[in-house]
Amino acid sequence: MSILYDEGQQAIATESRRVLDARMSKDRLLGLLEQVGQADQPFWDTAVEQGWTALAIPEEHGGLGLGLTELGLVAQATGAATAGAPFLTFGYGAARALIDGGDAALAAQWLPKLASGEALGTVAFAEGNAALPPAAGVTFVDGKLTGTKPAVPGAITADIAVVWANTGGKPVLVLAELAGASRKAVPSYDNTRLYADVTFAGTPASVLAEGDAARALALDVLARMAVVTAHEQVGGAEALLHTARDYALTRKAFGQLIGAFQSIKHRIAEMYGLVEVARANCIHAAASEGQPGFLLAAADARIAATEAYDTNSRDCVQIHGGIGVTWELGLHLHMRRARSLAVETGNLYFWEDLLVDQLTGEAA
Amino acid sequence: MSDLEAYRLSARAFLEKMAPKYAREARAGNTVEQDLALGREYMAAKHDAGFAGINWPVDIGGQGLSHLHKITFDGEEMQFGMPVQFFGISLGMPVPIMMHYCEDRDFVKERVRKALRGEEIWCQLFSEPAGGSDLAGLRTRVEPDGNGWKMNGQKIWTSWAQYCDYGVIVTRSDPNVEKHKGLTYFWLDMKAKGVDVRPIKLAGGDSHVNEVFFDDVRLEDSQRLGAVGGGFGVALHTLMIERYIATDSGGFGPHLDEFVKLARHIEVGGRPALGDGRVRSAIARNHAMRAGLDSITKRAFLMMQAGMQPGPEGSLQKLVAVRSRQKLSELAMDLKGNEGLAFDEHAFVKTDWGTSWLNAPTGRIAGGSDEVLLNTIAEKILGLPQDHRPDKGVPFNQIPA
Repeated sequence: MSILYDEGQQAIATESRRVLDARMSKDRLLGLLEQVGQADQPFWDTAVEQGWTALAIPEEHGGLGLGLTELGLVAQATGAATAGAPFLTFGYGAARALIDGGDAALAAQWLPKLASGEALGTVAFAEGNAALPPAAGVTFVDGKLTGTKPAVPGAITADIAVVWANTGGKPVLVLAELAGASRKAVPSYDNTRLYADVTFAGTPASVLAEGDAARALALDVLARMAVVTAHEQVGGAEALLHTARDYALTRKAFGQLIGAFQSIKHRIAEMYGLVEVARANCIHAAASEGQPGFLLAAADARIAATEAYDTNSRDCVQIHGGIGVTWELGLHLHMRRARSLAVETGNLYFWEDLLVDQLTGEAA
Repeated sequence: MSDLEAYRLSARAFLEKMAPKYAREARAGNTVEQDLALGREYMAAKHDAGFAGINWPVDIGGQGLSHLHKITFDGEEMQFGMPVQFFGISLGMPVPIMMHYCEDRDFVKERVRKALRGEEIWCQLFSEPAGGSDLAGLRTRVEPDGNGWKMNGQKIWTSWAQYCDYGVIVTRSDPNVEKHKGLTYFWLDMKAKGVDVRPIKLAGGDSHVNEVFFDDVRLEDSQRLGAVGGGFGVALHTLMIERYIATDSGGFGPHLDEFVKLARHIEVGGRPALGDGRVRSAIARNHAMRAGLDSITKRAFLMMQAGMQPGPEGSLQKLVAVRSRQKLSELAMDLKGNEGLAFDEHAFVKTDWGTSWLNAPTGRIAGGSDEVLLNTIAEKILGLPQDHRPDKGVPFNQIPA
């Protein structure tokens, strides 16, 4: 696929930005920060109405049959608005596991519901700082899951989860209905991500892949989610770049605009550089979907985007001075999101290692 | 296969044929003079094969192809390490400016041919001791002298001036007006009476840059390029031509593969370096950065191919790539430890970490320092205010010293 956006893709970018500009409210998001387990329902209604849940699901399963590039562009718009519910990324991850997993009946059962927004899906791979633990603590024996996945995004309200588990020393990827698990909400610095510790106690689950196939599928799903997240991070980092620039063009100190001081303008120019390098990696990664080199491209995108969003949230606040740390201004919405996104689809340690594995064939 | 891909393959075939005689290995141990002689020979062969003046008009002696063809060829050529460093500036800026502004077309055609064949070399005399980044603050002055001009002053950092036949120069013709309004642009004969070239030895040990002194140098009015007082515009035009040069996400230093190759055979604390988190992190961060720059380049290329104007993000290349090359070179030297203390002054910057490190500061300063590039991004792309400029709107000769 070309790395130049076509007209349809440009329209998706413009339209998703326009809709979110009109419907998102900073005050609503600030209010949600102080409530545990509460999703931003108006955003999710918008996502369903706009067909974002259906975007990257194949047409035969009730989706629109588009790909990572299109979903990435929507994610970029949601990132800029700190909109979002975890399902845009994690629902997509669950859908990809179903599409490429080995159970056609299960795919036919759930994909149309995920596409229409009738069901919410998530992905429970990580345990602690391991995005894809070599030997998962959650076990799968005789069709049943046992153990706890900590702070799974979206788990408070999700209907299904794709779970990375251990079956007799081999990895396995299974689908479980969360009605059969117990969920304990995790109060977080970014509460609309709906984190919950999910405890399985003999919860029935269906196999999507086992052994090496499970690992390959889980890595592909994780890489795809990382590319969506990287777009979201670029959207956030770019919004912070513009916010910092606009403030530097308004605020005066020592008789001139602060944007005229090199300590400020150079910092903002560096923010621009981080955004553009990350954006270029995102475009390349999305266009590499399904091709050799996709994991490497996804790692490039993820690393550059995490660095861009983290740095830009630090620096944008710094450029604002005192006003930047107030609750009301809301820059902390980005600070918080930068960190939750940095961890959710695999931290930098994971992606740096994966990149070097891919590049050299040498594991850490 | 696209036309450009076919072109790339034909370029590659030509370069592979030339490589045994002219590429990196063949040049090992050459003195500068030997390398220059080899370079002139290679340029003539390139001209004979139809790979010279790729994007220049046919009627002036070029091939009449697109900028993309030129970038394609340059990208391939860069991988071979051909002895072309002497001719990059000559053909990059001064000769194209002559093609555009010099009215004596027969003279220009002859110069173009000889410059393309490496028989003549041109330099660009812009920077001065009192200012490199502040181009319009230059002090080399010309005054009317009969029907021509007389020039006095000094330029500095002039690449390859000691081997040059001609140069282009910006001078101050009127100190009574604002600094950028009193400039006039000329070409000059570097062998003319009163021109004195003195090489400057750089930190890396080589002397490719020079000081150039002018003592009552006579310039004919026919050597003027552009209007009297219009020199700043011609100078900006000269710098704009640089847009179409090939980029290198390695910052013109070693490829990341070289670092990985080094790490593969080295241990840190008794364990393989490639298993060391610090080494892995450095590789990963550099890869992500370089892949981003490569993707920016590829997108710009595709946009030009589609007849669109590439985005301004191309201006990040040198800024981001060269400073990361500097750090990666330090890390590579750390990896080598005592074995990295040995230094070969003839080693190549693209294959030797010590050479890459020692010459990296030049890359961060020449052709726009990091700080000036950041200012340009801040002001031209992001619309931030200019720095405080006490010299603005003031006649040159009243600017506080």
